[in-house]
Amino acid sequence: MQSLLTQAPRFAARRLPNAARALSTTPARAQAVPTEKPVLMKEFKIYRWNPDEPEKKPTLQSYKIDLNQTGPMLLDALIKIKNEIDPTLTFRRSCREGICGSCAMNIDGQNTLACLCRIDRNTGKDTKVYPLPHMYIVKDLVPDLTLFYKQYKSIQPYLQNDNPPEKGEFIQSQEDRKKLDGLYECILCACCSTSCPSYWWNQDEYLGPATLMQAYRWIADSRDSYGAERKEKLQNEMSMYRCHTIFNCSRTCPKGLNPAAAIAKIKLELAAE
Amino acid sequence: MASALLVRSTIPRALVQRSALRSSAIQGRYRCPVSSIVSDPRCEIARHSTNDALYVPGGPVYKGTVNDPTTFPPASRAHGSYHWAFERILSASLIPMTAAAYVTSGSNYPIVDGLLGISLVMHSHIGFDSSLVDYVHKRKFPILGPLASWTLRATTVGVLVGVYQFNTNDIGLTELIAKVWTA
Repeated sequence: MQSLLTQAPRFAARRLPNAARALSTTPARAQAVPTEKPVLMKEFKIYRWNPDEPEKKPTLQSYKIDLNQTGPMLLDALIKIKNEIDPTLTFRRSCREGICGSCAMNIDGQNTLACLCRIDRNTGKDTKVYPLPHMYIVKDLVPDLTLFYKQYKSIQPYLQNDNPPEKGEFIQSQEDRKKLDGLYECILCACCSTSCPSYWWNQDEYLGPATLMQAYRWIADSRDSYGAERKEKLQNEMSMYRCHTIFNCSRTCPKGLNPAAAIAKIKLELAAE
Repeated sequence: MASALLVRSTIPRALVQRSALRSSAIQGRYRCPVSSIVSDPRCEIARHSTNDALYVPGGPVYKGTVNDPTTFPPASRAHGSYHWAFERILSASLIPMTAAAYVTSGSNYPIVDGLLGISLVMHSHIGFDSSLVDYVHKRKFPILGPLASWTLRATTVGVLVGVYQFNTNDIGLTELIAKVWTA
């Protein structure tokens, strides 16, 4: 046993003649030095409002962080600020990869998901972060989406069919399935609805692009038999026809969807009835 | 949202804040530190009640509970698809009408001239009406809203009468534009 132990290093040394040098015996000048990135300080101005102090007006608070010690996305910067500078900074986030829709906010004037938005590395200009525009604010960057969800619920976003197949499942042709592409991917982050001026002025009555696109998602579904009822609900001045084809929704969508096209298709179907 | 709605929503705020003040007064006149880490049961109750009171009002006014879906206005095709289709057809037909008025002369083809006059006025009326619905709807502006839409209707009727008079007794719309163009 002892002979084995003593022999083992000698085998290793024989196989790799020049490789066996310990870190402690290596001179410092030959060691790899961790690359020192230059400090790249960037200013972030973030909307702050605290419901516990309602008499104080909302303000923009400035934070400076080193971009070279931060991840690439704005959400990384927010998390770094919250972890290292100001733990009271409040925002929603969950998946950090653009699939949950929690971190929707207005970054440099554009509604988008913080987790999908790269930090502008131009340090000469600050980056301003606001919550979604024209929404009631719960705190800091957290908007109140209650009405948005109530509106989504109103379009009955689920399959309705009085004659389900007797056995098995609904069969859908590939062409019919294709109609749902570009509709079902919506994550309801509310970026589009809150970018729509019509939704700003009339959000208590107008459904907004996100909800209307989901309405069309169920109207277009070949398995759903309540299309007529769904369309009939939109036959009024406010619910859908407040859309004036401004196209802010399609421009801002962080998932690259096209709510304006979906609304246009609903309008066409209603007009063709 | 518009200021009128905010004004209306401050009424429940005032009521709720007053009741919250009263309930916190009932709870033994205990002032809670604003950011106390120590959880004091008295404090918890007081802060929760005031927090609810501070958060709900000033904010949105929901119909029903937060779990109820929003409701739809009564369905009306005249306000829905018929209105939209009419508006679009009218807008599209203005293009050939304008072209027709350009190649003809108003005094020789009074029908074309008249049609163009009526269509232009209707088109403007629908556009202005849409703006009024957007910005001064009567649910938010109970006095200003109806006043504005009736003013618009009166103006439209007045302009239609004026266009009729101008087209029958004077040179007509197309020739006027031609004159102004060359002048």
